[in-house]
Amino acid sequence: MSGSFLASDFRNTFENCILFVVCSGVRVVLKYRHCDGNLCIKVTDDVVCLLYRTDQAQDVKKIEKFHSQLMRLMVAKESRSAAMETD
Amino acid sequence: MVLLESEQFLTELTRLFQKCRTSGSVFIVFNTDDGRTKPVPRKGHIEGFEPADNKCLLRATDGKKKISTVVSSKEVNKFQMAYSNLLRANMDGLKKKDKKSKNKKSKATQ
Repeated sequence: MSGSFLASDFRNTFENCILFVVCSGVRVVLKYRHCDGNLCIKVTDDVVCLLYRTDQAQDVKKIEKFHSQLMRLMVAKESRSAAMETD
Repeated sequence: MVLLESEQFLTELTRLFQKCRTSGSVFIVFNTDDGRTKPVPRKGHIEGFEPADNKCLLRATDGKKKISTVVSSKEVNKFQMAYSNLLRANMDGLKKKDKKSKNKKSKATQ
């Protein structure tokens, strides 16, 4: 059901996540451990779970951007289809 | 679970990050918020309730303290800028890509 995936797959599953978020019942979880130096982002609808774990500083910006885009999608109403088309 | 205003939530979230620097994790969860205040009955539906489509519930915890806030489409722009800056400023303990270093230690920088 769940699995972590590589940075190269991250972009590909990005589109899948966008489609996910359009439906309700989806949650996004962000977990940060400063003492261990790792960050983890999970998108799930309780059926499928996408998980990305990293300990690289360069991924923080990517994850934070992704996180913001997901938030915007959740909050957007009729503009959902427009938001989906923009990268 | 403490429901706060956006600005207060950001302040408290900064505090959570600072508290967890030496040990522990910070969990941030967000999902869509219908605006429901009553549980949905198994049969039928709640009268006079129309699910709202433009709100997002943000929750944060360190395992002990819980905070939350609701962000609507009106505030999302302003909130998002502050929130992104907060995340970037606080999530600074990860490994930097250093090709020159010979001994790569797995310990995060302080």
